[in-house]
Amino acid sequence: MLILGDTPGRSFTRRGVLQAGASSVLGLSWPALLQAGALEKPKAKSVILLWLWGGPAQLDTFDPKPDAPVEFRGPFASIPTTISGVRFGELFPQLAQRANQFSLLRGMHTGSNDHGVAGTIGLTGSIAGAVGLDGKPRSGQARPTTGSIIAKVRRLNSGLPSFMVVGGKLHQGKKAIVGETGGFLGSACEPFRLEYDASEAKTRIPGLELGQGLTPERLDDRRKLGDAFAALFSQAEKNFLASAWSGHVEQAFALLLRPEARNLFDLNLEMPRLRDQYGRTRFGQSCLLARRLVEKGIPFVQVNWSDHVEAEEDAGDGGWDHHYRNFQIMADRHGPWLDRAVSTLLDDLKSRGLLDSTLVVAVGEFGRSPKINDKAGRDHWEHCYSALLAGGGIQPGRVIGSSDARAERPLTRPVTPADLAATIHNAMGITSEQSQSMGLAVDGEVVHELF
Amino acid sequence: MKTLLASFFLPFLPFLSLAQPGNPPLAVTRLTTDGAFKSHLQWSADGKKLLFTRIHQGRMELSAMEALPGAKAIPLIVPSPNTPHFDGHWSPDSALVVYVHDTLQGTDGKLQINTVQADGVGVKTLVPHKAFDESPRFSPDGKSIAWVSTRDGNQEIYSLEMASGKINRLTQNPAFDNNCSWKGDGKKIAFASSRSGNFEICSMNQNGDQVLRLTNHPALDCWPVFSPDGKSIAFTSNRTGNYDIFLMQENGENPRNLTSHPGQDNFASFSPDGKRLAFISNRDGGFDIYTLRLQE
Repeated sequence: MLILGDTPGRSFTRRGVLQAGASSVLGLSWPALLQAGALEKPKAKSVILLWLWGGPAQLDTFDPKPDAPVEFRGPFASIPTTISGVRFGELFPQLAQRANQFSLLRGMHTGSNDHGVAGTIGLTGSIAGAVGLDGKPRSGQARPTTGSIIAKVRRLNSGLPSFMVVGGKLHQGKKAIVGETGGFLGSACEPFRLEYDASEAKTRIPGLELGQGLTPERLDDRRKLGDAFAALFSQAEKNFLASAWSGHVEQAFALLLRPEARNLFDLNLEMPRLRDQYGRTRFGQSCLLARRLVEKGIPFVQVNWSDHVEAEEDAGDGGWDHHYRNFQIMADRHGPWLDRAVSTLLDDLKSRGLLDSTLVVAVGEFGRSPKINDKAGRDHWEHCYSALLAGGGIQPGRVIGSSDARAERPLTRPVTPADLAATIHNAMGITSEQSQSMGLAVDGEVVHELF
Repeated sequence: MKTLLASFFLPFLPFLSLAQPGNPPLAVTRLTTDGAFKSHLQWSADGKKLLFTRIHQGRMELSAMEALPGAKAIPLIVPSPNTPHFDGHWSPDSALVVYVHDTLQGTDGKLQINTVQADGVGVKTLVPHKAFDESPRFSPDGKSIAWVSTRDGNQEIYSLEMASGKINRLTQNPAFDNNCSWKGDGKKIAFASSRSGNFEICSMNQNGDQVLRLTNHPALDCWPVFSPDGKSIAFTSNRTGNYDIFLMQENGENPRNLTSHPGQDNFASFSPDGKRLAFISNRDGGFDIYTLRLQE
């Protein structure tokens, strides 16, 4: 059954499908595929995935339960939104005002309460190859992350990377999780990573770090750039990494040789007032960077809220894994920061006419336990959580699915990460046939109610 | 007659010049510019220094600095990535700091209450780890601390008599009670409580009796702090849609917005003479320390 992407036969021809299958192998461009009639016209041109690493609490964000006992509902009040009868946690007043501009999935659930495993499921739509705290890989080869799949079919002729991650690699403990790479799709589909360093107020390219404070802003002439390239390649050769690095490094330097491309990363080109509106947190500025990237046509941008899940141990804003001090951290930091950054991102995209063509998704790997623990925190909860979707063909103001009285389980319309991945593919016009032609198994179903 | 008038109006002085429609904004001075996230601000007893929590280079640490524009923030204790420390409070003589020490274990942490000398040496455990313990605050006479703990299941406020080690439970409610702050005479404690459905500012006697609800607003009210003369309470509220610092009389009357800024203004602390209020705000982008002048 072909279920990834839209229903077969509805918007493209079988001949086109066959041609598309061959085309993807032959590396035909996205417009060529469209011209072949293999693909449905995409609803979105770009995706911004806001990855809330660590797992936000559904009850404290977008699925409050004001009538639940206090040991479940917590200390925060709920507030009305611009959708009649829909309430959010009180830490999200700006998003509440914009609730009629996005939609929610309140019946998300996933297959693991381990950050590493759930992270893989969330980013790839499959548990295959996931590695959790036990260190044991789950059966099967890890699938390419959603951004890599988009990069495969939306290769840019401009030479810019099609898949960019803003933020460090996602970790559980000291180990990077599985699920942020292109896997068998090849190095061309690997994410090009940027990091916004809030302490230095600069964008960094970790892949090009030479320990000399090299930043896009400082690469002001070709000679300096050439020297840096030579030094980096020499270092890579010494480390026997040349073959693995060369493709990416070449791509990066090719990018940086072009001033207009380097300008992409320079947030100093933005109005200070707008930067303030996003919040000068790493996440806030990363959201602004994401907007700059989609404005230049990057098809998939993933913004990682943090590198690690822990709230207190991170180079970013601290993760969402609030086993203790959940409510204090939510009130002092995470709530206002998320509210401000996402609200501004939606406003900014809208004012530039980009929201209709940009799918914004904000979600973590799971939710948090409805029953508050004895450390004023909430633990991992894979059975029920929420996702926010806006733009890119999403009909705004809808709440799809519901949870039970304590947000413990979906009551109606349960949705899995594989379904969410299929929905993103669908918005980008990728059909199940095209996915299969790339060797991708198809697991999820499109949440059609969103469109 | 002048003396009589002055004594009548003196208690209301803090409310006469506050930011509100028609009033000129209060003069605000920015002290730091590094923009790192800061919280839990407190002025030293002599008014010369500020103590605060800062996330610096990925680590949560206690820092102190002169209460002057451009002064450098200096970590109080050599930071470690696995032992964040935060939410500090100076003793009345500023010789000691009581704070939360966290030992990270995987994705979890173990909190305990420690003290350290003001020069950063002599760390001692005051309340060993038992549960979630946070927000330790010295009483004005320095003989006890109040703090927040979940040792009985949910967040309640406790006090510890330093000499005897006796622990007293001050609040007993299934809701959340936290953010405690002593009144200058040591007879009352202000705190935030969700017992009415969302966080409101309450006060109680120092033994936990006579809990009074001081605010009544659907928005979040938190981090209360008494003015040095005990006649008013500053607190944080998002009743304007974002965090601002408010000031009200001790009985909860006449709440006024002191900051009225679209930025996130939080963690108020009075200068010892009560003339200035320090707070943390991201009004200029990053999170920095500011002061505003309440009266001349």
